[in-house]
Amino acid sequence: MKEMKSLQVLDRFRGLFEKIGVEYPVMRRIVQVKLAMDARRKPTLAKSSNQKRKQDTAESNQFLRSLWLYVLFGGFSSMFVLMGDNLLFQMSILFGIMMFMVMTSMISDFSSVLLDIRDRSILATKPINRRTLTMAKTVHIFIYLFFLTGAIAVIPLAVGLFRQGIGFFALMLLELILMDLLIVVLTALLYLVVLRFFDGEKLKDMINYVQIGMTITIAVGYQVLVRLFDFTEMDIVFKPAWWQYLVPPVWVGASFQTLLHPGEGMTYAGLAVLSVVVPLAAFLLYLKLMPALERNLQKLAEPSAKSGQRSGKMLRRISDWLCSSPQESAFFRFTWSMLGTEREFKLKVYPSLGFSIVFPFIFLFSNGLDQGLEGISGSRSYLFIYFSGIMLPTLIMMLRYSSRYKAAWIYRTAPITSEASIYKGALLASLVRLMLPLYVVEAAIFAVLFGASIIPDLIVAGLAMFAYAIFCFLCMRKGLPFSEPFEAAGQQNQSFVFMGLMLLLGGFGLLHWLATSLPFGVVAYGLLMIAGTWLGWRLAFRTQGTKKVARPDGND
Amino acid sequence: MMTTKDPVIKLTNLRMSYGGHHVLNGVDLEVYPGQIIGYIGPNGAGKSTTVKIMLGLVEGYQGEVRVFGQNPGDGDVSYKKRIGYVPEIAELYDTLTASEYLTFIGELYGLSADDAEMKARRMMTEFGLGDAFNSRISTFSKGMKQKVLLVSSLLHNPDVLFLDEPLSGLDANSVMVVKEMLALLAAQGKAIFYSSHIMDVVEKISSRIVLLDGGRIVADGSFDELKAQNHEGSLEQIFNQLTGFNEHQDIASRLVSIVQGV
Repeated sequence: MKEMKSLQVLDRFRGLFEKIGVEYPVMRRIVQVKLAMDARRKPTLAKSSNQKRKQDTAESNQFLRSLWLYVLFGGFSSMFVLMGDNLLFQMSILFGIMMFMVMTSMISDFSSVLLDIRDRSILATKPINRRTLTMAKTVHIFIYLFFLTGAIAVIPLAVGLFRQGIGFFALMLLELILMDLLIVVLTALLYLVVLRFFDGEKLKDMINYVQIGMTITIAVGYQVLVRLFDFTEMDIVFKPAWWQYLVPPVWVGASFQTLLHPGEGMTYAGLAVLSVVVPLAAFLLYLKLMPALERNLQKLAEPSAKSGQRSGKMLRRISDWLCSSPQESAFFRFTWSMLGTEREFKLKVYPSLGFSIVFPFIFLFSNGLDQGLEGISGSRSYLFIYFSGIMLPTLIMMLRYSSRYKAAWIYRTAPITSEASIYKGALLASLVRLMLPLYVVEAAIFAVLFGASIIPDLIVAGLAMFAYAIFCFLCMRKGLPFSEPFEAAGQQNQSFVFMGLMLLLGGFGLLHWLATSLPFGVVAYGLLMIAGTWLGWRLAFRTQGTKKVARPDGND
Repeated sequence: MMTTKDPVIKLTNLRMSYGGHHVLNGVDLEVYPGQIIGYIGPNGAGKSTTVKIMLGLVEGYQGEVRVFGQNPGDGDVSYKKRIGYVPEIAELYDTLTASEYLTFIGELYGLSADDAEMKARRMMTEFGLGDAFNSRISTFSKGMKQKVLLVSSLLHNPDVLFLDEPLSGLDANSVMVVKEMLALLAAQGKAIFYSSHIMDVVEKISSRIVLLDGGRIVADGSFDELKAQNHEGSLEQIFNQLTGFNEHQDIASRLVSIVQGV
């Protein structure tokens, strides 16, 4: 365990901590241990970017290495400092973006810090006073918030210094600190409320969805931010309204307006005062509430009371109807439940599910809307719906990973006659549960936008999706569902296969596009897809009965 | 078994309820130095709640609790320096190495880093884990983790030990070592508060057995005393009798008939 720079900085404030009754050496030691543990942990944002992880390299904080992404995002956002002279609007937007980024990252990456239940049995049983424990946790969080906020704000700060002067710079620094205070309190409060009224499982689900939401937002955010440059030409007039009192970024914007462009009236001054008073008051409240949160954390350790009996009957009917053998239908239902409950799987797959939802529309609106909504109904832009298949390679590849992969011994010990039924059931379940609803909803929206005449095309495209899914399955290395650790996902380099499959998806779309210009082309294309699906369904699983599959059990 | 010394733990009419559900219904207990107390009872009888109250992890109880004459709820945590705790679930900061973790825990109890590390290394070596001392705990087997927990509870030479299933995952040889160690520690005047579901072990190592059922103490005494009161052979049978459980044969035969029905 090495000495961290952050701790040396912390030492300067030693007197301050001791004044409020904190045992400084103990707190410092706890923070040091926590930081050392974090250095061995990976944050959400970095997961997709660094595929290869070397085992036990020199201790370096993965989190700090992922910060460049935030720097980049801050760089994009700094245009709000540059653009106009309406400080209220600019700074509200800038702080809105920064608050969102920091808060989501706080929930997705630091929930494990705030919600570590091990702290209770390991630390609370030791002779450490409560204030020291609370402070240790708070300091730990603030060290990270410092880096995070620093990364995202460094470019806006620099731009502000050059463009708006030193006063602006100082004010922004102050507001950033207050923003961080507010974020910590809001997050803790959010957890406290969720834990108070729901159980631990709900909270973990919620964190999971925030993680997914953040990954999608960042991917889509790049698209949107670039387009936002058009906005800058617009003249935005800000009228004070009561709801602005409820939006923290507006308080910040108002304090910039009041202090740097005075003479706008008392409303802004009132908002500006809020930006200082609320975070400070909230932080005092936080110090009071922390023990209550700690007590409620106990719920995380308790089993949840709710049972999953709801869709049992219905699911059984669906699976029996779709599957040809009882074993296949058992695996259908098994995969169905795993898809809904395995958090890490959701974290890996749902972002690409998000892309599938968003991409058809992004392409539609960036390419097809030049002539307005009336213009598109005659065009063939509806073929952008093929982009909804973009999730299929990821989904099918990820199907074989699980965080509880060791439980796959069950495949070996149970008398399963043919592995084909495992794959068939799993593939069908994943398509029916994730792809089908998504496609149906998108197709419905497209049908509204383009008119009922495209419905045959949409049905044919749906068939093509199915054929494409089977093709993806054929191309990829087989592995029993949920039988390998997620860490292994980074190790096999399948990016070429992935690229090929993406191109293939485009190929399907292109073929459909060509087919629309021939008489009965779409019908022929549809028949081709049905034949392809039928053939693929025979081929994909045929060899599985005899072939030896990679051992599911890991190193133990 | 009573000694003339002051009790290290004194519970008077201890009551606790979670949202209307009564977990403890008036527990009275005094623990003296040198005792190994087998604290037993069915699941949900309130065993871990009692221990958590004494450790100051659970608040909101009624009645009086004194640990070394001190009240856990009064905000002064210094009494915890004299307590060692092995929780039921092996909760550890397992991304740390055994060396890092144990040194850290020792320091929290007020030892210097060097002392804690040296003591931890020596104890781990005695447990046959000298080679694993610098490996991450996450790579350890269940028994190895249990040994780390045991060492972490003993580093600061506590006067009272709270052990919740301390033998789980240990192999037969290590079990013998730990049992012998507990006996020696008790002989030195330490009080050991031992909860377990394995009646054979409790019967053998405890100098006093406290049986908790439905939030009440239903039996308290040495194994011989309990036997004299209940006319039953083993602690397991006494346990069944006192907790009013006598249908194990019926349940077992029903289970078997369900198995055969498929």
